[in-house]
Amino acid sequence: MMQTPFPAFDKRVIIFAGAYGSGKTEVAVNYAIGLTTSQNQPVSIIDLDIVNPYFRSREAAFELETQGVRVIMPHNEMCHADLPIILPEIRGEIERSDGKVVVDVGGDDVGARVLSSMVDAFAPKGYEFLIVLNARRPFTSDVAGSLKMMHDIEMSSRLKFTGIVSNTHLIGETTTEIVVEGYRLAEEVGKAAEIPVVFVSVVTEVAQQLDPNVVKVPVFALSRQMLKPWEEKVKAVRGL
Amino acid sequence: MTRILMKGNEAIAEAAIRAGAIYYFAYPITPQNEVGEYMARRLPEVGGVFVQAESEVAVGNMLFGAVASGKRAFTSSSSPGISLMQEAISYMAGARLPVVLINIMRGGPGLGGILPSQADYFQATKGGGHGDYRVLVLAPSTLQEAVDLTMLAFHLADKYCNPTMVLADGMIGQMMEPVEFPENYVEEPLPPKDWATTGCQGRDPNVVNAKGRAPIIIKSLALDPVVLEKNNLVLAEKYKLMKRDEVRFEAYKINPKNRILVVSYGTMARICQTVIDELEQEEISIGLLRPITLFPFPAKEILAEAIKPNIESVLTVEMSMGQMVEDVEWAVKDKRPIEFYGRTGGIVPTPEEVKDYIMKILARETPAAKNWNG
Repeated sequence: MMQTPFPAFDKRVIIFAGAYGSGKTEVAVNYAIGLTTSQNQPVSIIDLDIVNPYFRSREAAFELETQGVRVIMPHNEMCHADLPIILPEIRGEIERSDGKVVVDVGGDDVGARVLSSMVDAFAPKGYEFLIVLNARRPFTSDVAGSLKMMHDIEMSSRLKFTGIVSNTHLIGETTTEIVVEGYRLAEEVGKAAEIPVVFVSVVTEVAQQLDPNVVKVPVFALSRQMLKPWEEKVKAVRGL
Repeated sequence: MTRILMKGNEAIAEAAIRAGAIYYFAYPITPQNEVGEYMARRLPEVGGVFVQAESEVAVGNMLFGAVASGKRAFTSSSSPGISLMQEAISYMAGARLPVVLINIMRGGPGLGGILPSQADYFQATKGGGHGDYRVLVLAPSTLQEAVDLTMLAFHLADKYCNPTMVLADGMIGQMMEPVEFPENYVEEPLPPKDWATTGCQGRDPNVVNAKGRAPIIIKSLALDPVVLEKNNLVLAEKYKLMKRDEVRFEAYKINPKNRILVVSYGTMARICQTVIDELEQEEISIGLLRPITLFPFPAKEILAEAIKPNIESVLTVEMSMGQMVEDVEWAVKDKRPIEFYGRTGGIVPTPEEVKDYIMKILARETPAAKNWNG
């Protein structure tokens, strides 16, 4: 069984970006929860997804708040809107002096554009700008496609990526082979872009089976939060 | 073939391309925008054309022209957008044109909301626009099925020269699942599109009385009542054939011990499956019949299961105030009591709610109910 420490960063702001459907939200939500349990400091998560209508981190707000993570998301009925809502408290949250801030950005270059208006807020506090890659997604299945995606996101966000999160999976059909195949691609992309693979993320069941001699970076075990209605066992209705 | 992880909207878009669609007309609306984004990226690679229309009304009429040329064309939209296309859909049904429509349903009525719904069942299956016509309606419940049914939709549209719709709730459009596309897609042979308006390069123009052929003017206008009625009779004949040959459904855990027959479609059926699996653990036997074609509707098949001796009632579960349940009532007639459970507004019923409702039905079952067996 593979045990690796929580992949912590010194930087205050950790931004997850990537292609549509790369798994940014699942990683960001799990990462925020992981931070509160492993690091003794306040953690907040900013739902900055202005392009996706469903499966945004705000849907896990109840679970996040229960775990002690502060959730910054549009208020009241606006949390269901598909509008480019940028809350004034986002900037305040970034400029605050204590704790960690996790930012969940919308997909592709269009989703990342919103970051460009906040570069001056991120820069002085220090940030990690992480690209979440899933090699089983149509437009990031090879080095060229992944580099193009990174380039497009960097252009629209005016931020430079500092690391790669290898998040290759097929939801319920994920195997160690699929994870390793994605990790190898991430390493190649990292070499070409001259940035490190900072961690591999995958559901706990598969994480436990990974060989540390093959996957040489920390493995971050995910517990799925973005469930489909039929995947939820019969239980109390989750509050939003 | 490698299995890849796709969002439903992307999977449907890729399926359309694999089925040979080269024209796509659309106007953006949530929750199906990824179809357009994907087509904008992929269509140029296959030599296709995507026109973002000025409205859904324009989309409908662009489709009329494109499919009249004999090429495969389609659109995708969500509930209010599909409402705007109804006039053109009626025209295409009248003109006997093979068009494919994708409706990723959101909550209504009116502008409603952007969350999942199944409230366009009436609109899709009972016409939607004016006149005596039917749209062939396919309802996927998984992303792989969304791929397969989208490809099938193009085939069936051509086979019957009829508008064909893939009707899916917003969950199908937005969720992600692994899918694969057929390596070598081969269709059953289709009749030639000798009616298509392709220009007359290399052949004689199709003008009145030239070589005894009628002019090729694709239209739904017929001022002569005899001609118009004849067209309606042809359409009716076609719908009869669809009812005979195209009914599709899935039976889940249907067996003689079932006490309730659940009828549900799309992702709602998957929630019902979760409940049925749980109840099985508690030794309560429930079966599910999931219509895959909503028109033609598997009425005979539902009746056959409903009248099994142990069935106490038939429960329809929908993300609506009760639409398909009317077809279930019509199918079962007065042979069994009909129950309904639904949520609207974009609220997806939880497995817990559905289970509670089933338990309530089972608890209130009276001895008199047993007499329906005769």
